[in-house]
Amino acid sequence: MHGRISRRLGRLILSVVTIAGLTVPAAWSGEPQIWNTIKKHADTVQKKTAKVQEAAKPMSVEEEKDVGREVAAKVVGFSHLYKNDELRRYVNLVGATVAAQSERREIQYHFAVLDTDDINAFSAPGGYVFITRGAVALCEDESELAGVLAHEVGHVAGKHVLHIVERDRVMQAGMKEASNYVPGSDYLQKVSKNILVKLLDQGLAPGDEFDADARGVKYAHAAGYPADGLERFLVKLDQATNQGANSFWSRTHPPVKDRDDRIQKQIASQHWEDADRPRLADRFAAETAGLAKTKQGM
Amino acid sequence: MRPNRRLILCAFILILAVAVAAVSVPQQDQPQGGQDQTQTDQQQQQQQQQQKKKKKGGFFGGLKAVTGETGEQSEVTRTAGSKSVGEGEKMGDVQPTAADRRAVKGMEDYSLPQKDVKKFQEDGKLQPQQ
Repeated sequence: MHGRISRRLGRLILSVVTIAGLTVPAAWSGEPQIWNTIKKHADTVQKKTAKVQEAAKPMSVEEEKDVGREVAAKVVGFSHLYKNDELRRYVNLVGATVAAQSERREIQYHFAVLDTDDINAFSAPGGYVFITRGAVALCEDESELAGVLAHEVGHVAGKHVLHIVERDRVMQAGMKEASNYVPGSDYLQKVSKNILVKLLDQGLAPGDEFDADARGVKYAHAAGYPADGLERFLVKLDQATNQGANSFWSRTHPPVKDRDDRIQKQIASQHWEDADRPRLADRFAAETAGLAKTKQGM
Repeated sequence: MRPNRRLILCAFILILAVAVAAVSVPQQDQPQGGQDQTQTDQQQQQQQQQQKKKKKGGFFGGLKAVTGETGEQSEVTRTAGSKSVGEGEKMGDVQPTAADRRAVKGMEDYSLPQKDVKKFQEDGKLQPQQ
Protein backbone atom coordinates (compact mmCIF):
# COMPACT_ATOMS: atom_id res chain seq x y z
CA MET A 1 0.00 0.00 0.00
CA HIS A 2 2.72 2.42 1.05
CA GLY A 3 4.69 1.46 -2.01
CA ARG A 4 1.76 2.32 -4.27
CA ILE A 5 1.31 5.70 -2.59
CA SER A 6 4.98 6.43 -2.91
CA ARG A 7 4.92 5.61 -6.62
CA ARG A 8 1.88 7.86 -7.16
CA LEU A 9 3.50 10.62 -5.17
CA GLY A 10 6.70 10.20 -7.12
CA ARG A 11 4.87 10.45 -10.44
CA LEU A 12 3.01 13.53 -9.29
CA ILE A 13 6.19 15.27 -8.17
CA LEU A 14 7.93 14.31 -11.42
CA SER A 15 5.05 15.79 -13.45
CA VAL A 16 5.08 19.05 -11.53
CA VAL A 17 8.83 19.37 -11.77
CA THR A 18 8.70 18.67 -15.51
CA ILE A 19 5.98 21.24 -16.09
CA ALA A 20 7.77 23.77 -13.92
CA GLY A 21 11.04 23.03 -15.71
CA LEU A 22 9.42 23.76 -19.03
CA THR A 23 7.38 26.80 -18.10
CA VAL A 24 9.63 28.72 -15.70
CA PRO A 25 12.69 29.22 -17.97
CA ALA A 26 10.45 30.15 -20.88
CA ALA A 27 8.60 32.70 -18.79
CA TRP A 28 11.80 34.09 -17.26
CA SER A 29 13.52 34.45 -20.59
CA GLY A 30 10.85 36.93 -21.73
CA GLU A 31 10.78 35.25 -25.10
CA PRO A 32 7.92 37.32 -26.55
CA GLN A 33 9.76 40.53 -25.60
CA ILE A 34 12.90 39.34 -27.33
CA TRP A 35 10.94 38.82 -30.52
CA ASN A 36 9.24 42.16 -30.13
CA THR A 37 12.62 43.87 -29.63
CA ILE A 38 14.13 42.11 -32.64
CA LYS A 39 11.14 43.07 -34.76
CA LYS A 40 11.32 46.68 -33.55
CA HIS A 41 15.02 46.97 -34.37
CA ALA A 42 14.50 45.32 -37.75
CA ASP A 43 11.76 47.87 -38.54
CA THR A 44 14.03 50.72 -37.43
CA VAL A 45 16.91 49.48 -39.57
CA GLN A 46 14.56 49.11 -42.55
CA LYS A 47 13.20 52.65 -42.11
CA LYS A 48 16.67 54.17 -41.69
CA THR A 49 17.97 52.32 -44.73
CA ALA A 50 15.09 53.68 -46.78
CA LYS A 51 15.78 57.22 -45.55
CA VAL A 52 19.49 56.98 -46.37
CA GLN A 53 18.68 55.66 -49.84
CA GLU A 54 16.32 58.59 -50.43
CA ALA A 55 18.79 61.11 -49.09
CA ALA A 56 21.64 59.75 -51.18
CA LYS A 57 20.32 61.87 -54.01
CA PRO A 58 22.62 64.90 -54.22
CA MET A 59 21.31 68.43 -54.03
CA SER A 60 20.47 69.95 -57.39
CA VAL A 61 22.27 73.07 -58.59
CA GLU A 62 19.08 75.08 -58.13
CA GLU A 63 18.69 73.84 -54.56
CA GLU A 64 22.37 74.60 -53.95
CA LYS A 65 21.81 78.15 -55.20
CA ASP A 66 18.76 78.54 -52.93
CA VAL A 67 20.86 77.56 -49.94
CA GLY A 68 23.73 79.83 -51.02
CA ARG A 69 21.35 82.73 -51.61
CA GLU A 70 20.07 82.47 -48.05
CA VAL A 71 23.63 82.36 -46.70
CA ALA A 72 24.50 85.40 -48.80
CA ALA A 73 21.46 87.30 -47.51
CA LYS A 74 22.57 86.73 -43.91
CA VAL A 75 26.14 87.74 -44.77
CA VAL A 76 24.98 90.94 -46.45
CA GLY A 77 22.61 91.65 -43.58
CA PHE A 78 25.44 91.35 -41.08
CA SER A 79 28.43 92.91 -42.83
CA HIS A 80 26.86 94.96 -45.65
CA LEU A 81 28.33 95.28 -49.09
CA TYR A 82 31.06 97.80 -49.66
CA LYS A 83 29.63 100.49 -51.89
CA ASN A 84 32.33 101.12 -54.46
CA ASP A 85 31.39 100.41 -58.06
CA GLU A 86 34.97 100.49 -59.36
CA LEU A 87 36.18 97.98 -56.80
CA ARG A 88 33.11 95.83 -57.36
CA ARG A 89 33.80 95.72 -61.07
CA TYR A 90 37.49 95.02 -60.53
CA VAL A 91 36.92 92.18 -58.06
CA ASN A 92 34.36 90.64 -60.42
CA LEU A 93 36.79 90.88 -63.35
CA VAL A 94 39.56 89.16 -61.41
CA GLY A 95 37.06 86.66 -60.01
CA ALA A 96 35.59 85.86 -63.42
CA THR A 97 39.10 85.36 -64.80
CA VAL A 98 40.00 82.68 -62.23
CA ALA A 99 36.50 81.18 -62.02
CA ALA A 100 36.61 80.49 -65.77
CA GLN A 101 39.21 77.83 -64.93
CA SER A 102 36.92 76.07 -62.45
CA GLU A 103 35.73 72.54 -63.18
CA ARG A 104 32.13 73.46 -62.33
CA ARG A 105 30.81 75.18 -65.44
CA GLU A 106 27.19 74.93 -64.30
CA ILE A 107 27.86 77.45 -61.55
CA GLN A 108 27.79 81.18 -62.15
CA TYR A 109 30.09 82.83 -59.64
CA HIS A 110 29.18 86.11 -57.96
CA PHE A 111 31.84 88.18 -56.20
CA ALA A 112 31.28 90.91 -53.64
CA VAL A 113 33.31 93.00 -51.20
CA LEU A 114 32.12 93.23 -47.62
CA ASP A 115 32.48 96.49 -45.75
CA THR A 116 34.68 95.45 -42.86
CA ASP A 117 38.31 95.80 -41.84
CA ASP A 118 38.47 92.14 -40.88
CA ILE A 119 40.69 90.12 -43.19
CA ASN A 120 38.42 87.38 -44.47
CA ALA A 121 37.15 85.67 -47.56
CA PHE A 122 34.63 82.89 -47.84
CA SER A 123 32.20 81.33 -50.23
CA ALA A 124 28.75 79.85 -50.00
CA PRO A 125 27.26 77.03 -52.07
CA GLY A 126 25.96 78.16 -55.44
CA GLY A 127 28.95 80.38 -56.22
CA TYR A 128 28.58 83.32 -53.82
CA VAL A 129 32.10 84.55 -53.04
CA PHE A 130 32.82 87.23 -50.48
CA ILE A 131 36.04 89.05 -49.72
CA THR A 132 36.32 91.76 -47.11
CA ARG A 133 37.62 95.26 -47.65
CA GLY A 134 40.38 94.37 -45.16
CA ALA A 135 41.48 91.38 -47.22
CA VAL A 136 41.61 93.41 -50.43
CA ALA A 137 43.64 96.06 -48.62
CA LEU A 138 46.14 93.42 -47.45
CA CYS A 139 46.85 92.34 -51.04
CA GLU A 140 49.81 94.01 -52.69
CA ASP A 141 49.03 93.03 -56.25
CA GLU A 142 46.36 91.49 -58.45
CA SER A 143 47.91 88.02 -58.39
CA GLU A 144 47.39 87.86 -54.61
CA LEU A 145 43.76 88.92 -54.96
CA ALA A 146 43.36 86.33 -57.71
CA GLY A 147 44.87 83.68 -55.43
CA VAL A 148 42.43 84.42 -52.61
CA LEU A 149 39.39 84.48 -54.89
CA ALA A 150 40.57 81.31 -56.63
CA HIS A 151 40.82 79.58 -53.24
CA GLU A 152 37.17 80.42 -52.59
CA VAL A 153 36.14 79.29 -56.06
CA GLY A 154 37.99 76.08 -55.17
CA HIS A 155 35.68 75.53 -52.19
CA VAL A 156 32.62 75.85 -54.41
CA ALA A 157 34.12 73.69 -57.14
CA GLY A 158 35.14 71.07 -54.57
CA LYS A 159 31.59 71.20 -53.10
CA HIS A 160 33.14 71.26 -49.65
CA VAL A 161 30.23 72.94 -47.89
CA LEU A 162 27.68 71.25 -50.12
CA HIS A 163 28.93 67.81 -49.16
CA ILE A 164 28.67 68.65 -45.47
CA VAL A 165 25.09 69.75 -45.99
CA GLU A 166 24.25 66.66 -48.02
CA ARG A 167 25.78 64.35 -45.42
CA ASP A 168 23.93 65.89 -42.49
CA ARG A 169 20.92 63.88 -41.40
CA VAL A 170 18.90 66.88 -40.24
CA MET A 171 19.53 68.50 -43.59
CA GLN A 172 18.68 65.30 -45.42
CA ALA A 173 15.32 65.12 -43.73
CA GLY A 174 14.28 68.41 -45.31
CA MET A 175 15.99 68.07 -48.66
CA LYS A 176 13.04 66.49 -50.41
CA GLU A 177 10.51 69.18 -49.48
CA ALA A 178 10.32 71.76 -52.25
CA SER A 179 8.63 74.23 -49.90
CA ASN A 180 11.78 74.24 -47.78
CA TYR A 181 13.63 76.14 -50.49
CA VAL A 182 11.44 79.22 -50.33
CA PRO A 183 13.61 82.21 -49.26
CA GLY A 184 13.37 82.75 -45.53
CA SER A 185 11.90 79.31 -44.80
CA ASP A 186 12.73 77.77 -41.44
CA TYR A 187 14.69 75.13 -43.23
CA LEU A 188 16.88 77.57 -45.18
CA GLN A 189 17.31 79.72 -42.07
CA LYS A 190 18.56 76.75 -40.12
CA VAL A 191 20.80 75.40 -42.85
CA SER A 192 22.29 78.78 -43.74
CA LYS A 193 22.99 79.58 -40.10
CA ASN A 194 24.79 76.32 -39.63
CA ILE A 195 26.81 76.83 -42.79
CA LEU A 196 27.99 80.15 -41.40
CA VAL A 197 28.83 78.59 -38.03
CA LYS A 198 30.77 75.92 -39.85
CA LEU A 199 32.59 78.37 -42.10
CA LEU A 200 33.38 81.16 -39.68
CA ASP A 201 33.50 79.53 -36.25
CA GLN A 202 34.33 75.87 -36.62
CA GLY A 203 36.15 75.82 -39.93
CA LEU A 204 36.09 73.24 -42.67
CA ALA A 205 38.19 70.08 -42.49
CA PRO A 206 41.91 70.74 -43.07
CA GLY A 207 41.70 68.45 -46.10
CA ASP A 208 39.05 70.70 -47.65
CA GLU A 209 41.23 73.76 -47.08
CA PHE A 210 44.25 72.08 -48.63
CA ASP A 211 42.06 70.99 -51.55
CA ALA A 212 40.78 74.56 -52.03
CA ASP A 213 44.38 75.80 -51.94
CA ALA A 214 45.42 73.27 -54.58
CA ARG A 215 42.47 74.12 -56.79
CA GLY A 216 42.98 77.85 -56.29
CA VAL A 217 46.65 77.67 -57.19
CA LYS A 218 45.75 75.67 -60.29
CA TYR A 219 43.04 78.13 -61.37
CA ALA A 220 45.28 81.16 -60.81
CA HIS A 221 48.05 79.59 -62.84
CA ALA A 222 45.64 78.55 -65.60
CA ALA A 223 44.24 82.08 -65.65
CA GLY A 224 47.68 83.46 -66.42
CA TYR A 225 48.72 84.69 -62.97
CA PRO A 226 51.79 83.49 -61.09
CA ALA A 227 50.67 80.50 -59.07
CA ASP A 228 52.11 81.73 -55.78
CA GLY A 229 49.75 84.67 -55.25
CA LEU A 230 47.81 82.86 -52.53
CA GLU A 231 51.03 81.78 -50.83
CA ARG A 232 52.28 85.37 -50.65
CA PHE A 233 48.94 86.54 -49.32
CA LEU A 234 48.98 83.88 -46.59
CA VAL A 235 52.38 85.01 -45.35
CA LYS A 236 51.08 88.57 -45.02
CA LEU A 237 47.89 87.36 -43.36
CA ASP A 238 49.92 85.46 -40.80
CA GLN A 239 51.94 88.56 -40.00
CA ALA A 240 48.83 90.74 -39.81
CA THR A 241 46.97 88.41 -37.46
CA ASN A 242 50.06 88.11 -35.27
CA GLN A 243 49.90 91.88 -34.95
CA GLY A 244 46.25 91.76 -33.90
CA ALA A 245 44.29 91.84 -37.14
CA ASN A 246 40.99 89.97 -37.00
CA SER A 247 40.61 87.03 -39.33
CA PHE A 248 38.75 83.79 -38.89
CA TRP A 249 41.17 82.27 -41.41
CA SER A 250 43.86 82.24 -38.73
CA ARG A 251 41.50 80.56 -36.24
CA THR A 252 39.84 78.01 -38.47
CA HIS A 253 42.31 77.23 -41.25
CA PRO A 254 45.38 75.00 -41.11
CA PRO A 255 48.66 76.72 -40.14
CA VAL A 256 50.04 78.97 -42.85
CA LYS A 257 53.34 77.11 -42.91
CA ASP A 258 51.61 73.82 -43.74
CA ARG A 259 49.59 75.46 -46.47
CA ASP A 260 52.55 77.28 -47.99
CA ASP A 261 54.64 74.11 -47.92
CA ARG A 262 51.97 72.26 -49.85
CA ILE A 263 51.56 75.08 -52.34
CA GLN A 264 55.30 75.19 -52.97
CA LYS A 265 55.38 71.43 -53.47
CA GLN A 266 52.44 71.66 -55.88
CA ILE A 267 54.12 74.37 -57.93
CA ALA A 268 57.43 72.48 -57.93
CA SER A 269 55.81 69.20 -58.92
CA GLN A 270 54.01 70.88 -61.82
CA HIS A 271 57.21 72.60 -62.98
CA TRP A 272 55.36 75.88 -63.29
CA GLU A 273 58.03 78.41 -64.19
CA ASP A 274 55.75 81.42 -63.91
CA ALA A 275 57.85 83.82 -61.84
CA ASP A 276 57.91 86.22 -64.77
CA ARG A 277 54.14 86.25 -65.12
CA PRO A 278 52.40 89.57 -64.39
CA ARG A 279 51.59 90.27 -60.77
CA LEU A 280 49.89 93.48 -61.86
CA ALA A 281 50.74 95.55 -58.82
CA ASP A 282 50.22 98.84 -60.67
CA ARG A 283 46.80 97.92 -61.96
CA PHE A 284 45.83 96.68 -58.53
CA ALA A 285 46.95 99.96 -56.95
CA ALA A 286 45.00 101.98 -59.50
CA GLU A 287 41.83 99.90 -59.20
CA THR A 288 41.86 99.93 -55.40
CA ALA A 289 42.75 103.60 -55.06
CA GLY A 290 39.20 104.30 -53.93
CA LEU A 291 39.65 101.76 -51.17
CA ALA A 292 42.77 103.56 -49.95
CA LYS A 293 40.91 106.86 -49.99
CA THR A 294 38.05 105.34 -48.02
CA LYS A 295 40.48 103.97 -45.48
CA GLN A 296 42.22 107.32 -45.12
CA GLY A 297 38.89 109.02 -44.67
CA MET A 298 37.85 106.65 -41.93
CA MET B 1 -8.39 10.27 7.92
CA ARG B 2 -5.91 7.57 7.37
CA PRO B 3 -2.28 8.55 7.63
CA ASN B 4 -1.48 7.62 4.01
CA ARG B 5 -4.32 9.79 2.72
CA ARG B 6 -3.13 12.65 4.92
CA LEU B 7 0.31 12.20 3.47
CA ILE B 8 -1.08 12.34 -0.06
CA LEU B 9 -3.07 15.47 0.74
CA CYS B 10 -0.05 17.18 2.26
CA ALA B 11 2.07 16.22 -0.71
CA PHE B 12 -0.61 17.44 -3.11
CA ILE B 13 -0.87 20.80 -1.31
CA LEU B 14 2.89 21.10 -1.30
CA ILE B 15 3.09 20.34 -5.00
CA LEU B 16 0.24 22.71 -5.75
CA ALA B 17 2.03 25.43 -3.81
CA VAL B 18 5.23 24.79 -5.75
CA ALA B 19 3.31 24.88 -9.03
CA VAL B 20 1.53 28.10 -8.15
CA ALA B 21 4.83 29.63 -7.10
CA ALA B 22 6.47 28.53 -10.31
CA VAL B 23 3.73 30.14 -12.39
CA SER B 24 3.55 33.29 -10.29
CA VAL B 25 7.28 34.01 -10.39
CA PRO B 26 7.40 34.75 -14.11
CA GLN B 27 4.13 36.66 -13.86
CA GLN B 28 5.72 38.93 -11.29
CA ASP B 29 8.92 39.09 -13.25
CA GLN B 30 7.33 39.93 -16.53
CA PRO B 31 6.24 43.43 -15.64
CA GLN B 32 9.61 43.97 -14.04
CA GLY B 33 11.21 42.57 -17.12
CA GLY B 34 9.05 44.95 -19.11
CA GLN B 35 10.16 47.81 -16.94
CA ASP B 36 13.76 46.73 -17.36
CA GLN B 37 13.20 46.55 -21.09
CA THR B 38 11.64 50.00 -21.07
CA GLN B 39 14.57 51.31 -19.05
CA THR B 40 16.97 49.61 -21.43
CA ASP B 41 15.13 51.12 -24.39
CA GLN B 42 15.27 54.54 -22.75
CA GLN B 43 18.98 54.13 -22.11
CA GLN B 44 19.49 53.06 -25.70
CA GLN B 45 17.49 56.05 -26.92
CA GLN B 46 19.54 58.37 -24.72
CA GLN B 47 22.74 56.83 -26.02
CA GLN B 48 21.49 57.15 -29.59
CA GLN B 49 20.55 60.79 -28.99
CA GLN B 50 23.98 61.48 -27.51
CA GLN B 51 25.61 59.78 -30.49
CA LYS B 52 23.43 61.82 -32.82
CA LYS B 53 24.43 65.00 -31.02
CA LYS B 54 28.09 64.05 -31.23
CA LYS B 55 27.76 63.35 -34.93
CA LYS B 56 25.83 66.54 -35.46
CA GLY B 57 28.66 68.44 -33.83
CA GLY B 58 30.35 68.74 -37.19
CA PHE B 59 27.64 70.70 -38.88
CA PHE B 60 24.76 71.37 -36.54
CA GLY B 61 26.85 71.55 -33.40
CA GLY B 62 26.84 75.31 -33.54
CA LEU B 63 23.14 75.49 -32.94
CA LYS B 64 23.47 73.89 -29.53
CA ALA B 65 25.33 76.78 -28.02
CA VAL B 66 22.52 79.09 -29.03
CA THR B 67 19.54 76.93 -28.25
CA GLY B 68 21.04 75.50 -25.07
CA GLU B 69 19.95 72.04 -26.13
CA THR B 70 22.83 70.49 -24.26
CA GLY B 71 25.41 71.33 -21.68
CA GLU B 72 28.16 69.89 -23.85
CA GLN B 73 30.80 72.34 -24.98
CA SER B 74 30.30 72.86 -28.66
CA GLU B 75 33.02 73.16 -31.25
CA VAL B 76 32.06 76.79 -31.59
CA THR B 77 32.93 77.72 -28.05
CA ARG B 78 36.10 75.67 -28.21
CA THR B 79 37.16 77.36 -31.43
CA ALA B 80 36.17 80.84 -30.44
CA GLY B 81 38.02 80.65 -27.17
CA SER B 82 36.94 83.49 -24.95
CA LYS B 83 34.17 84.55 -27.29
CA SER B 84 30.88 83.16 -26.10
CA VAL B 85 29.19 83.54 -29.47
CA GLY B 86 31.15 83.20 -32.70
CA GLU B 87 30.86 85.51 -35.68
CA GLY B 88 29.22 82.76 -37.67
CA GLU B 89 26.49 82.40 -35.09
CA LYS B 90 25.92 86.13 -34.97
CA MET B 91 25.76 86.26 -38.74
CA GLY B 92 23.53 83.21 -38.81
CA ASP B 93 21.08 84.85 -36.44
CA VAL B 94 20.54 87.76 -38.83
CA GLN B 95 17.07 87.91 -40.32
CA PRO B 96 17.72 89.30 -43.80
CA THR B 97 15.63 92.30 -44.71
CA ALA B 98 14.10 92.94 -48.10
CA ALA B 99 17.00 95.31 -48.78
CA ASP B 100 19.49 92.55 -47.97
CA ARG B 101 17.75 90.20 -50.38
CA ARG B 102 17.72 92.91 -53.03
CA ALA B 103 21.46 93.35 -52.52
CA VAL B 104 22.00 89.63 -53.08
CA LYS B 105 19.80 89.79 -56.16
CA GLY B 106 21.98 92.66 -57.34
CA MET B 107 25.02 90.45 -56.82
CA GLU B 108 23.44 87.75 -58.96
CA ASP B 109 22.36 90.11 -61.69
CA TYR B 110 25.76 91.77 -61.88
CA SER B 111 27.40 90.27 -64.90
CA LEU B 112 30.22 91.64 -66.94
CA PRO B 113 30.15 91.38 -70.72
CA GLN B 114 32.53 88.70 -71.91
CA LYS B 115 34.30 91.23 -74.11
CA ASP B 116 35.08 93.32 -71.02
CA VAL B 117 36.56 90.29 -69.27
CA LYS B 118 38.61 89.49 -72.35
CA LYS B 119 39.87 93.05 -72.63
CA PHE B 120 40.74 93.04 -68.94
CA GLN B 121 42.81 89.90 -69.43
CA GLU B 122 44.52 91.27 -72.52
CA ASP B 123 45.32 94.55 -70.80
CA GLY B 124 46.95 92.60 -67.98
CA LYS B 125 48.85 90.42 -70.45
CA LEU B 126 47.20 87.39 -68.91
CA GLN B 127 47.01 84.35 -71.09
CA PRO B 128 44.22 82.19 -69.70
CA GLN B 129 44.10 78.56 -70.79
CA GLN B 130 40.35 78.76 -71.44
